[in-house]
Amino acid sequence: MSDETSINGGMAAAEAAAIMREQDQRARQAFQVSYRGSFVAWGAITLVGYGVTWLAVRNAHPVQGPNPIGFALVSVLGVASALAGRAEGRSDAGVGGATVWRRRVHVLALVVGLAAMYVLEGALYRAGAARPVLFVFEATAPILIAGLFYLTSSALWLNWPLAGFGLWLAVAAVGGAFAGPHGVWGVDALTAGLGFLLMAALEPRLRRTAGLGLRPS
Amino acid sequence: MSESRPSEASGRHSDDGLDPVIHAPARLRIVVTLAALRDGDNLSFTRLQDLIGLTPGNLVTHLRKLEDAGYVTTHKNGSGVTARTSVELTNGGRAALDQYTAVLRGLLDSAGGPAPDSGQ
Repeated sequence: MSDETSINGGMAAAEAAAIMREQDQRARQAFQVSYRGSFVAWGAITLVGYGVTWLAVRNAHPVQGPNPIGFALVSVLGVASALAGRAEGRSDAGVGGATVWRRRVHVLALVVGLAAMYVLEGALYRAGAARPVLFVFEATAPILIAGLFYLTSSALWLNWPLAGFGLWLAVAAVGGAFAGPHGVWGVDALTAGLGFLLMAALEPRLRRTAGLGLRPS
Repeated sequence: MSESRPSEASGRHSDDGLDPVIHAPARLRIVVTLAALRDGDNLSFTRLQDLIGLTPGNLVTHLRKLEDAGYVTTHKNGSGVTARTSVELTNGGRAALDQYTAVLRGLLDSAGGPAPDSGQ
């Protein structure tokens, strides 16, 4: 530490810079929301749940309609996601103001989206939608909702990797639908499930670590 | 408490141009922590204490100096055991930290210290 940077015998400039860097890093880490828990939850459920469903239905003729496995899967997925979201909310402890409200409304959108999916599927069934159509809807809707959730997350928190992942899920959901009522489960298990797990592995590296502009000495 | 008056208003900077209200380790940590929040957000007293590592008494003392300078505002909601005190950085406080950072960079540059980062 250079004497030239000392200030009136008090804290030196280099020391002040070090404090700023250290505290800024500590605070940002403390306030940083990690999506790792929900990535793992969604990834495991999508990969295993969709994969198992695909194994069960791939040779079924005629195509089975909305099945209990699918409903149970979405329910478990919703609960797991809620639990993961609760754990992620720990970074908000003690924080008040606009961010907290944004996050609550955002999570509400996910819950409403998944609940609406059930209702919509019932309406489609009642309207006479064919079973293969309902089967495809049942498989793709949760993935599409998750994709839109992460896409809007990226807008809220200015997180570009999350935007890319949200887009990927949306494309995977829509693209998977073209694989038909049998193949959609397998395609979504791989594209979405592995995507979630990949994001869980990469997430710590992808977190933004914007500093206050002072390099370590 | 002359030291705690806004340096811009009182015209009192140290010889190096650093704001004496911010230029103290504990207050620097407080301001930097609050600056890490998004605009419009506030932080509870207990979480701030946890992140800074000060005793409640010390934290109150430093917050009072920052509040006198107009750099932070504190709000108390509720009463009794459910009372929650929240702390928020003001626009003036954010501007003062930006100014402090710029001066600090200049000092480090002139002293041949570590080069300032371009990102903010």
